Amino acid sequence: MTLLDTLPQKLGSTEQWTESGGVHWLNPGPLSLHDLCMEMIAARARFITITAYQLPKDEGIGLEYHWDLAGQLLGFPFLLKANPGENPKIESIYNLTEAVDWVEREIHEEYAVDFTGRDYEPLLLREGDKLGVNLREIANICKPEPDAPGKEEVKK
Amino acid sequence: MSYKIPMGPYHPALEEPYKLDLICEGETVTDARLHIGFNFRGIEHLAETRNYIQVIALMERVCGICSNIHTLTLCQAMEGLTGQTPPPRAQYIRVIMAELERLHSHVLWAGIASKLMGFKTMFMTCFEIREKIMDVLAAISGNRVNYSMNRIGGVNRDISDPAVILAMVQQLEGEMMKTVIPIFTTSSTARSRCAGIGVLTAEKAISCGVVGPTARASGLGQDLRRAAPYAAYAELDFEVPVEKAGDVRARLFVRALEIIESCKILHQALTKMPPGEINTGEEKFKFVTGTATSRVEAPRGEVIYSVSWKEGSRNPNRVHVRTPTFANMPAVRWMVMGARLADTPLIQASIDPCYSCTDR
Repeated sequence: MTLLDTLPQKLGSTEQWTESGGVHWLNPGPLSLHDLCMEMIAARARFITITAYQLPKDEGIGLEYHWDLAGQLLGFPFLLKANPGENPKIESIYNLTEAVDWVEREIHEEYAVDFTGRDYEPLLLREGDKLGVNLREIANICKPEPDAPGKEEVKK
Repeated sequence: MSYKIPMGPYHPALEEPYKLDLICEGETVTDARLHIGFNFRGIEHLAETRNYIQVIALMERVCGICSNIHTLTLCQAMEGLTGQTPPPRAQYIRVIMAELERLHSHVLWAGIASKLMGFKTMFMTCFEIREKIMDVLAAISGNRVNYSMNRIGGVNRDISDPAVILAMVQQLEGEMMKTVIPIFTTSSTARSRCAGIGVLTAEKAISCGVVGPTARASGLGQDLRRAAPYAAYAELDFEVPVEKAGDVRARLFVRALEIIESCKILHQALTKMPPGEINTGEEKFKFVTGTATSRVEAPRGEVIYSVSWKEGSRNPNRVHVRTPTFANMPAVRWMVMGARLADTPLIQASIDPCYSCTDR
């Protein structure tokens, strides 16, 4: 039995690992992110990153927490939904692993996700910039308008 | 009385634009705050507007030093979504390019570190060697910086005469063994300037999640080429240098030893490279819906790409990149605490930071 085999039981999860796209995935189910992080640290796993992506329409934001356990890449997906007019929220794990600091700050700026229980300083954006620069609704503003100046005008 | 010294975002002691606010008492740094984002280009979002050919060219421009690593990692992830397996010869060519790029990056860094040590003749020597490494890369790819070598299912160009490249590598190795390696491993100048400064303990290295030579210089033996081999690394014999001191000298030492190991890998790869095709020959690709993730040991440490696709689409849904400097840079705060103000340029440079990568 490897640590990977015993980990779902330790985490109190009834789910099983599935391997896909180079990652061992485990659906955390009702397990809290905080408890998951504690178990990963206890298992001497190394936090790598969180991948955030915006789901189609108004289905919310997906967060994939990636950890390395003895060379094996582990992934834990979380789905965040928010009420209209509010930012999606999830607890911060910055108090458990400082490696997550810049990652949470970046996602906060790019996808307007609020990681609760921590303070933010601007990371990639400057003070006063609008949050959610990678969100469709905001990023699309940057697309050129049909009557935008052409190349000739730019050359001047 | 404590006072704040802002260093950057444009400063002679910094290679690239970022800002360190150093809190000092006298000449001693008591704390530091780091600010990045001066190169933020929104490349991850831009990638969603590019098709599967264009996105490779785009991601090659995330970084000027490790451009090949970015396309390698991206192509490996996209191969997971298209069911392509590169032929064995392509896997060896990928290793050769990756190790030449590691040599290029480490020697470039050694030059900059020498300059910050006040050892300017060594800076000149390193940059002369770096030019020769770029000549080898140009001999293979036709390009000095953005090599355009990787594609989905293999590589774009063959190494038609490995013996010529091997001779160039052997000449380079001879020069480095006479200059860079002895100076960085035994010289009293390097020792006196680097020993005992910018210490990152193993505990702090684990807590900060640092990667690459920065982690290995703090006693963590992590290297994806060994722990999770990709390309042809599983067939090659090499050591992973690890030092325990965690100071600037340990980082210098690890990189110097890694230069030797890279030469060892290049020797093996260039002599063992099997004959055959260099790519699958496919020109059009069908992506399955899903996410694929790939990791590669870049010169500065682990790079991870997470790529999502929807079947039928020519563009990715999402391309996420976590670069090594993004993981390593927050640890600089702990490295400079308690250091002399005059040592901070060398300490921050000792992680070999890349802000083009970090900001994306």
